[in-house]
Amino acid sequence: MKQIILFAALCLLPLSAQAQSLVSDALTKHILPRFEALAENAETLSKTANSACSPESKALQHAYGAAFDTWIAASHLRLGPTEVDDRAFALSFWPDGRGATPKALSQLINDADPIAQTPDAYRDMSIAARGLYALEFLLYDNALMQAGDSAYHCRLIRTISADIAHTSEAILLDWQNRYMDVLLHPRAEGPYQSQKEVVKALFNTLNTGLEFTADTRLGRPLGTFERPRPTRAEVWRSGRSARHVILSLASLRDLAMVLASEYPALAARLDHQFATAIDQVTDLNDPVFASVNVPQSRLKVEILQQTIQGIRSSVTNELGPSLGVTAGFNALDGD
Amino acid sequence: MATTGRRQFLGGLLAAGLLPKPTWADVGTPAFLAAAATPNGRFALCGIDAALNLLFKLPLPARGHAAAGHPIRPEAVAFARRPGTFAIVIDCRSGQETARLQSPDGRHFYGHGVFSADGSMLYTTENNFEAGRGCIGVWDVANGYKRISEWDSGGVGPHELRRLPLSDILVVANGGIDTHPDSGRSKLNIATMQPNLSYIDQGRLIDRAELPPEMHKNSIRHLAVSTHGIIAFGMQWQGGNPAPAMVGTHRLNSDIRLIQAPASEQRPLQGYIGSIAIADDGSEIAVTSPPGGVVQRYDTKNATLRDTKLIKDASGIATGQDDFVISSGTGLLTRLNAPSKQEIANRELIWDNHLVRLV
Repeated sequence: MKQIILFAALCLLPLSAQAQSLVSDALTKHILPRFEALAENAETLSKTANSACSPESKALQHAYGAAFDTWIAASHLRLGPTEVDDRAFALSFWPDGRGATPKALSQLINDADPIAQTPDAYRDMSIAARGLYALEFLLYDNALMQAGDSAYHCRLIRTISADIAHTSEAILLDWQNRYMDVLLHPRAEGPYQSQKEVVKALFNTLNTGLEFTADTRLGRPLGTFERPRPTRAEVWRSGRSARHVILSLASLRDLAMVLASEYPALAARLDHQFATAIDQVTDLNDPVFASVNVPQSRLKVEILQQTIQGIRSSVTNELGPSLGVTAGFNALDGD
Repeated sequence: MATTGRRQFLGGLLAAGLLPKPTWADVGTPAFLAAAATPNGRFALCGIDAALNLLFKLPLPARGHAAAGHPIRPEAVAFARRPGTFAIVIDCRSGQETARLQSPDGRHFYGHGVFSADGSMLYTTENNFEAGRGCIGVWDVANGYKRISEWDSGGVGPHELRRLPLSDILVVANGGIDTHPDSGRSKLNIATMQPNLSYIDQGRLIDRAELPPEMHKNSIRHLAVSTHGIIAFGMQWQGGNPAPAMVGTHRLNSDIRLIQAPASEQRPLQGYIGSIAIADDGSEIAVTSPPGGVVQRYDTKNATLRDTKLIKDASGIATGQDDFVISSGTGLLTRLNAPSKQEIANRELIWDNHLVRLV
């Protein structure tokens, strides 16, 4: 009975007040903690690289992994500060179907290009050679981890790490100093004119985050049944492919719970779907999706992909209409 | 005597291959073609006349995107939505499928195609997805739509293509976005995308127009051509807020001209144009934005916004006799100048993406 009264009271709240508390929750519980963690771990990565730049260094590998974990947990939040100066791409240039990252790194190392001497100069470097995915090649690729002069290699690792720290800090400061206010106080001349537009933008990050994990993180290694592509898995060299799927699902689940907080039955259903997907990827026990080559185990990866697509259907068909941000037949198609 | 004369005349026509051949008049002279979805979850290709009456509704096996109408015969090619690998040729008199185009291995269609001026060839935009290059498939119509050649589209991710008036020079909107069917519609190269407008004459690139570098994330997707060869193009912005421009015009061998509207005027488009049309005399351009639920009309000469009309899920737009015609995902089929809400949505047909004008 108490719950029914509470529910009725919530229904009576003006829509804008509901939307405002949702946006405020999304900021304080979901967005800001993620970019704070990213800035902190990226700073630690840069400091660690300054004291140990060998790809064999456990401390460096650990700091790299921790920074990457926090980026994956934030990577779906593609709005505002991440979109200024290509910051998100400067942290994460992937997928890279044409191999631009290893090409650019090889050329830098072969030429001992002085652009890597300072992080400031390196900011003009092609984004393919910047960020966490570029660093993975320098730390884990059989050829690139030992390519070139070792002092230059070390400098390159330090510079890329410092660049990652700088970008991560810039995103955080931009959220704190500018964009938090943009989301909380939509206004006529801002990028969002109403709370509803802000909710829609947050909803879109959930939707595209799910799409990216299903279609790209899983779709690329799956390839086709006739031609699986395990070496197209995300960061397989460092053995982190499945980990990224788990981390992204956990983070998207957190966002879904914030967005669905006014709809307990829907929140429970979504939570269950996320739990199923996370169980499925954990049960694969296959860190780099090597099993896509084997018909029997491949099936399990396909099922996982379908589970995530099922979450997306719930988000599109149930959460969207509940939040009043449904897209039309053509708007949804987008072509 | 008269009978004999007529027989001889007919015999002469037959010998000369001049027996009246089927034309679009045989199916009621449709002015437009459009793909649609029906409430029971099926899909259709529809013919619509100049007064916006439905003339025919022919079944499609899957969701369509755009269509191409043969310049003479009542024959239409319906393209599956991206990344489809088939297109269906339909005899619009019988509704029968008369041929099926299958994209070659390693290619998929983008959903648009156009016939040559004489109707002997069909050109389709395609993705060579392993190479990450766009291409134009060339299909021999008389030979049962046999694929006879393939040209480079001049860029990545070609979407709509059109023919310049009275010629077979193709203008292609290379959207710049690399996708691979293994990862659905995920965009693989937003950071480095380079859209362009390419002009192709029998496989040879004769002109290419590009946007200023700071606008490289503006995917050029949809095209319309005036009688005198002005190309109007609509874009889809992939960068952060706000979009710098959404519409531009171009002419072969000249510079791109962008409609630089103030942010308040561009905002309703939500960075996304679904279809574009230009008046035959080139004086006006109109665009739809399905996410924005608006249609905007511009004055071409002054490159300024004329008006904005709210139409929910508006998507298809084409140039009619003296007005623009719009179709929407709510089933509305209307004229831009019609008083709002006058025309009632047809709940039996949900219009899909594009409204294609038959010449």
